[in-house]
Amino acid sequence: MEVAEVTTFLAGTTPFDQLDAARLASLAANISVYYCQNGETVQLNTERLMIVRTGIFALYSDQQTLLTKLEQGDFYGYQLLLTGLSDNDSLVCEEDGLVYWLPADAFHQLRYQYKNIDIFFQRLFSRRLHQYKAQQQNLRFTLKISDIVQARKIAIDGEQSVQQAAALMTEKRVSSLLVEQNEQLIGIVTDRDLRSRVLAADLPAQTPVRQVMTAKPYSIDKHAYLFEAVQLMSRHNVHHLPVLDKQQSYSMITATDIIRSQQDHPVYLIGEIHRQTSIDGLEHCASQISSLALTLGKQQVPAHEAGHIITTITDALTQRLIALAQLELGPPPCVFSWLAFGSQGRMDQSLNADQDNALLLEKEPVAEVATYFAALADFVCQGLARCGIILCPGNIMASNSDLRLSLKGWSGQFARWVTTPTPQALLKSSIFFDLRVIEGSKGLFNALQQDILAKTSDNPLFLYHLAQTALQRSAPLSFLRNFILEHDGKQKKGLDLKKRGISLITDIVRVYALSAGISEINTRQRLVQLANNGVMDSKDTQNLSDAFDVLTQLRWDKHQHDLLQGHDVSNLLDPNVLSGLQRHQLKDSLTVINDAQSSLKHRFCRDL
Amino acid sequence: MLSWLANKTTPLSHIVQAFNQTTLPAGSVRAADCPFLVVDLELTGLNARQDHILSLGWVPVRQYEIVLSEARHYLVHSPVSVGQSAIFHGLHDKDFKQARDLAEVLTELMQTYAGYIFVAHHCQLDLRFLEVACQRIFGKAAKFSFIDTLNMELYRLHKQGIVMKTDALRLPQCLQRHKLPQSDQHHALADAYSCALLLLSQLKHSHADITLADLQLQSR
Repeated sequence: MEVAEVTTFLAGTTPFDQLDAARLASLAANISVYYCQNGETVQLNTERLMIVRTGIFALYSDQQTLLTKLEQGDFYGYQLLLTGLSDNDSLVCEEDGLVYWLPADAFHQLRYQYKNIDIFFQRLFSRRLHQYKAQQQNLRFTLKISDIVQARKIAIDGEQSVQQAAALMTEKRVSSLLVEQNEQLIGIVTDRDLRSRVLAADLPAQTPVRQVMTAKPYSIDKHAYLFEAVQLMSRHNVHHLPVLDKQQSYSMITATDIIRSQQDHPVYLIGEIHRQTSIDGLEHCASQISSLALTLGKQQVPAHEAGHIITTITDALTQRLIALAQLELGPPPCVFSWLAFGSQGRMDQSLNADQDNALLLEKEPVAEVATYFAALADFVCQGLARCGIILCPGNIMASNSDLRLSLKGWSGQFARWVTTPTPQALLKSSIFFDLRVIEGSKGLFNALQQDILAKTSDNPLFLYHLAQTALQRSAPLSFLRNFILEHDGKQKKGLDLKKRGISLITDIVRVYALSAGISEINTRQRLVQLANNGVMDSKDTQNLSDAFDVLTQLRWDKHQHDLLQGHDVSNLLDPNVLSGLQRHQLKDSLTVINDAQSSLKHRFCRDL
Repeated sequence: MLSWLANKTTPLSHIVQAFNQTTLPAGSVRAADCPFLVVDLELTGLNARQDHILSLGWVPVRQYEIVLSEARHYLVHSPVSVGQSAIFHGLHDKDFKQARDLAEVLTELMQTYAGYIFVAHHCQLDLRFLEVACQRIFGKAAKFSFIDTLNMELYRLHKQGIVMKTDALRLPQCLQRHKLPQSDQHHALADAYSCALLLLSQLKHSHADITLADLQLQSR
């Protein structure tokens, strides 16, 4: 007989949330409830799983250092249950609370019956919970027609000629037209119809469209699901479907649209960007980025892929702006490379990234070369700013004359950072080491990158300082209820996912990558390379990569939420909004970062 | 309906007799070593002579742990319609299809939990209904030994010099004061569980060696 209060709690607690009502009730029936008082040490010698219902419990190592704090929904005792080995940790109640005890046999039975629950506890044990994924449904199947086609009615009257139809299709760059009579849809005509029913049949150009059109075409409502359109097309072997809104022509959906939607919108948007002939046009394209972001979110595109897509769009905007600048300024006086640093360089740009770019020039920036590229840089940076990619507050932009240098100039600049590193200089310059060429000469860029890698790899002094820089900020120890728990036991509100999470991983990984002369710059790819080259243990790189995914996903979700609410996007996370699994995963990711920082320190910051 | 009678080889009064003869923990026993059974009844009214028991819920507490595997909740057949009292407990006549005979339920209670100290919030009412029911069904008065979380709470607050309105001693208000999770009220098992949580909190906030006699004194 179940106590509703207990089953309700279990039903909302990961990983029990996947159990059905009957299984939850029998789980609850195995539980004993205990009241723990502030200051009491929890007895850990019995083989039972502890589930925290209320209160706060501090976990100390045998050296009495605070490891973490447990709160509602956290577990203890699974270590002993899974391995039979007990550690010397101690668990002290810090705030009165209730504890549920689940006996060993019930715990093992549950693991045996539910693979996912077994995996959950195994990963919790190996602190690899960030790899645990709740089973989620594939939302790609729930996209609607209206999610991918815009109101774009391109129609022709049935009495008009096939020649006029062909002209309209050419003008509008479409492969099919809606055919109407008295504002009512009567048919469609496609490229193929013009070929097979007009040209091949040798009909005159003045033939009315209605004679060659496909009459009474299959159509679909704009509120239908996308997969319904796919079904309709494949069942009747057609490639074009008129889309109706309240029985009126609204748009056309083609097989190509569907393929495109499966590869996501950016293809479409990037195509549009490259067709623009003015900054106004680009600005309009860029204004669609936030709605694109929401679509990607709806399609559950993982955050790292979304970051890649957002970067690709920024790249396209940059490339197009450079082309427009050249139209205005004339051809450049010498070969150049447009460089991007930081998140654009690493291809993990978020929605609120600022500009980090520079110019690498074939010739020294003097006289004509200097004036030309000053104008070009100004054009592009101001253009990007109009497209919503804000100017860099630290002035790391090509519009800054210090950042328009020849290969020799850049090489000298990097040499100064590498050979006489000071913490202050490195703090500012570390993002310069994540660089990528966006437009212009790849050869010029490769020469610079090889030069940098030759300077940085196997350079203990530089790596020592770079590692010191990476260690200047730390991740919180954990978090508790609505508060971030710092290493000194203090509690703060809100977690800056970038400063206290994502950037820390980027910084750690950069040190290893530069130490090994790895030319990859994307954090996830650097980790793959580091594991392949045996620079880091593959378990550690996997952990860092997963933690990175968890944090970027949380930031991506947060940005989506901000967009939907109409706020400015921000990186500040309120732990209160997290689900049970997300809390576990975030805590786990913070542990991964803290561990990785101590490894980094051990490896690069021992006495020189 | 009377199937439970078929297996009974002993006279009914023996159930009560055996219950009454089981030794209860001595007053000097530490509360931690004392077995408790927290009970709650839902009733058609407040008069033990006229009104009826609708449902019983109970859950034992041993070694300061609430043992949910032994938690029970039974609806019982009532000789009269639930009528107006449904407003309070939400139990309607239609819910009683799976109900049991009160005799059967009381038999299980008294055979399983002889030697236990019973606990209720405002126990006078529950005690009176149980006594009347035993007298009617078994023809013999059962001796229940109750402690009362409401009076213990009153004692605790008095000792701290806090004066409370009577309202503040109701179970939900007590749970709130002890920062314990709230449950649906007026469900016999949910209330018994809440009362058990309150008991644990009260025991933990007393001195470590508190005895049964202390609790009985506080329950007066």
